Amino acid sequence: MPVDPMLQGLVAGFAVEAQEVVQKVTMDLLELEREGLETDALTRLYVRLGRHLHTLKGSAASLGMQDLSDIAHKLEDALAPLKANPQKMPRPVVDILLHGLDLFLLRAQAHADGRGDALPDPAAALAQLVADAPPPEEAAAMVAASGGLAAVAAPAPSAEPVSVPDALPESADAGWRVSSWQVTALMREVERLREVRLRVEERGRELERVAVLLAKQGLLAETAEARTALSGTARSLRTDGEETSDIVDALEDGLKAITTRPVRTILDPLQRMVRDLSRQLGKEARLSVVGSEVSLDRRLLEKLQGSLVHLLRNAVDHGLELPADRERAGKHHEGALTLRVEQQGNLLYLEASDDGAGIDVEVVRRLAEQRGVVTAEETARLNENQLRDLIFRSGFSTRTDVTDTSGRGVGLDAVRASVEALQGRIEVASTPGQGTRFMLTLPTDLGSSPVLVVRVLEQLVGLPMLAVEATQLARAESLRLGKRRAHLEYQGQLLSVVDLGARLGLRALAPPAEGQPLLIVQSGGKRVALVVDAVVGDRDLVIRPLPSEVRDVPAWQGAATLSRGELLLICRPDWLVTETVQVQVSAQRRALVVDDSLTARALHRAMLEAGGFTVHLAASGARALDRLQSDTYDVVICDLDMEEMDGIQLIAKLRERPETASLPVILVSAHDSSVARERGLKAGADGYLSKRECAAGRLLAEVLDVMSRRGSRA
Amino acid sequence: MKVTPRTLEEAQEAEALELLERRASRLREQGENTVEEAVHWIAEFPLGEERYALSLESLRAALPLKMVSPVPLSAPHVVGVLRFQGQVLAALSLASLLGGHGWRQDPAVLLVVDRGDGELCALDCEAIPRPTTLPMSAVEAARVRAEGAVMEVFTQDRQLIHLIDLKRLFSATRGTGARHAR
Repeated sequence: MPVDPMLQGLVAGFAVEAQEVVQKVTMDLLELEREGLETDALTRLYVRLGRHLHTLKGSAASLGMQDLSDIAHKLEDALAPLKANPQKMPRPVVDILLHGLDLFLLRAQAHADGRGDALPDPAAALAQLVADAPPPEEAAAMVAASGGLAAVAAPAPSAEPVSVPDALPESADAGWRVSSWQVTALMREVERLREVRLRVEERGRELERVAVLLAKQGLLAETAEARTALSGTARSLRTDGEETSDIVDALEDGLKAITTRPVRTILDPLQRMVRDLSRQLGKEARLSVVGSEVSLDRRLLEKLQGSLVHLLRNAVDHGLELPADRERAGKHHEGALTLRVEQQGNLLYLEASDDGAGIDVEVVRRLAEQRGVVTAEETARLNENQLRDLIFRSGFSTRTDVTDTSGRGVGLDAVRASVEALQGRIEVASTPGQGTRFMLTLPTDLGSSPVLVVRVLEQLVGLPMLAVEATQLARAESLRLGKRRAHLEYQGQLLSVVDLGARLGLRALAPPAEGQPLLIVQSGGKRVALVVDAVVGDRDLVIRPLPSEVRDVPAWQGAATLSRGELLLICRPDWLVTETVQVQVSAQRRALVVDDSLTARALHRAMLEAGGFTVHLAASGARALDRLQSDTYDVVICDLDMEEMDGIQLIAKLRERPETASLPVILVSAHDSSVARERGLKAGADGYLSKRECAAGRLLAEVLDVMSRRGSRA
Repeated sequence: MKVTPRTLEEAQEAEALELLERRASRLREQGENTVEEAVHWIAEFPLGEERYALSLESLRAALPLKMVSPVPLSAPHVVGVLRFQGQVLAALSLASLLGGHGWRQDPAVLLVVDRGDGELCALDCEAIPRPTTLPMSAVEAARVRAEGAVMEVFTQDRQLIHLIDLKRLFSATRGTGARHAR
């Protein structure tokens, strides 16, 4: 069967990919042939084998190579009875499967070489394969000799001898074969160079500061020569830095051109697949693609292709109704499938949706129980979303018959496994009668991306620039303030106002002040007005993935290195635009922890949060006074020994202000002497704890005791 | 019968052989009488009122506690994130992980350790730990007895050391948010 010329360019890539998959399948088959494997191991191997064959089938079908899809389907047939009852695979079955894989690969290569139209009908070869499998030794000999199966599967090579020139003339297409890790390693070096470039910029600024400091010393004549030299060096450093920036940009652009390709290269072939499949099933469907011009890492695209094939085949097979049914339901007879691709910073959002019948949660529950995926007891404890998520479980399929499209219980669990292997996640949303949406979020970690750096209190936060539509200052006339939330009138719409500080738990929720910066942030078609304290500026930054301990915090998508080597957390725009239930903070007791030690702040916070407090943090006395201007607290826990303003000085300031004069304050100090304790209490502290006492777990009891004595809400 | 050397060289050679033989037998005797006890190298530090230790082989670096960026909304035991050799690592409060409430002094040091699963993380610590040894037999016995991530091992001078098994510690906290590992 000839391959569509439009797809021919992709078939060569498929042949290489198929070789890798076949190699994995072969290893699994050899393992299954071994004696003594435990049931768990057998089950795992059969599940993996099924997934690989399903991937081969789906990918071949998506490229229009129906013969290969048929072969993979036959192989799945051979596997099915054993998969249902995992046991050591009999040697004849292994022989058949290995033969089938040889046949698959030989034909794939023939397609890749453009000889697909000369291939004989595979039906005879398949029938012979299943009916009369030769012993493995013979098969190996046949493959090695390129006769036997090769003769069945692929056309005989041309009798014309192929002459190989001694030296190939160089052409525009000439190139090198480079492994992906070599290119990735180069990209990592470029990323490091970009960070070095940022540091060099900072050094230049330091030099300029030194020159200014020298001038301020008043020794103008004595330091004139040194200042001139320093200023000259700073200027040269700036010029060199700018040139380095250009080189880094050029290197990164060049490497991105090598390592990425537009998403449309994998999406375009899916149009054909949707058309063919819907015809085969008597349905009508049209696939729309949004964002196909986004360029992504080739390795990621290759790994995603199989998942997209699965999702679209499922959408056509399970999601869309027959044309007559659609019309009866008041829908257009042609079903709409949409693939939307969006990249923000180092995250890729991919959405596959259909306007079909939606997922019937009751059917999912019943089938999951029938197929032993979960017990009735378990389903009784699941909510609607959890029930819907059962479609991602291994062995689940809502099709009661096994077709070559779906119904083998592999597919969505394979999609989830493949997305999770890429450190991504997949979610599903569905409305009965209206359709289903699969949302994939995947990290893309090559190269830099533009980031807007903003500040909230002392915390710097990065926002992917692509998510920031506009910035403006808060003006009373454009704000609509309600009891619980504020809205901004923006381009004829009312956008929810989200205070980044409150959203991150850094301060209490308050409406934006006049002139405070507002960012219009969008993600997935939703927009909010984000309140920040300052816009620091935009940077091209390399966003790195977060370590496992904080990877699951939904607010953050990664971290980037700033010029001094400190890390900047990058906020997820989709998290920002998601509606949240505002916590009723007024009912909770509130504590302010003032300590210049990051770890002490973290420990006190942990302790107080465990005791039911809402905790805000300040790294210095001055910051604490700022916080107390705008927020109210039930208690302050303050370190005694801080630079600039110590705990005693802070208490003095608090007692001067009428609104904080009676605020309970507990001093915490490494000093454990009675003199230190007496000095602290004399200064106006309500309680005094040594670090030793804190370590012994006394903090919460002391806080409650002090609040009770002051008549607060203990 | 003792062979008498015939030349000066032969005499010197015989003397050297005799010397080597004497040294060899002395070493053999030492080997028979003193069996060196196998030891486990640890990095020991105070935590609250007690002495704690990590296996020295899990320690990758000790850094000053600075350049750590706090991570709002993270678990209570997460102090923040920092950059180490091009990687982003989590800085964690060891006291919090162990279910304690704090240190006697504010931690000034971060210990970069292998969590036991090949991933690195940083743990806060009052001071740079002291390398020392524990008898391997005592460690093995404690390992058998211990149920959690902290093993109680007595040194030869009857000092109690809480030896932290990082692999157990992190498998106990992974995904559960549990802070009490003991």
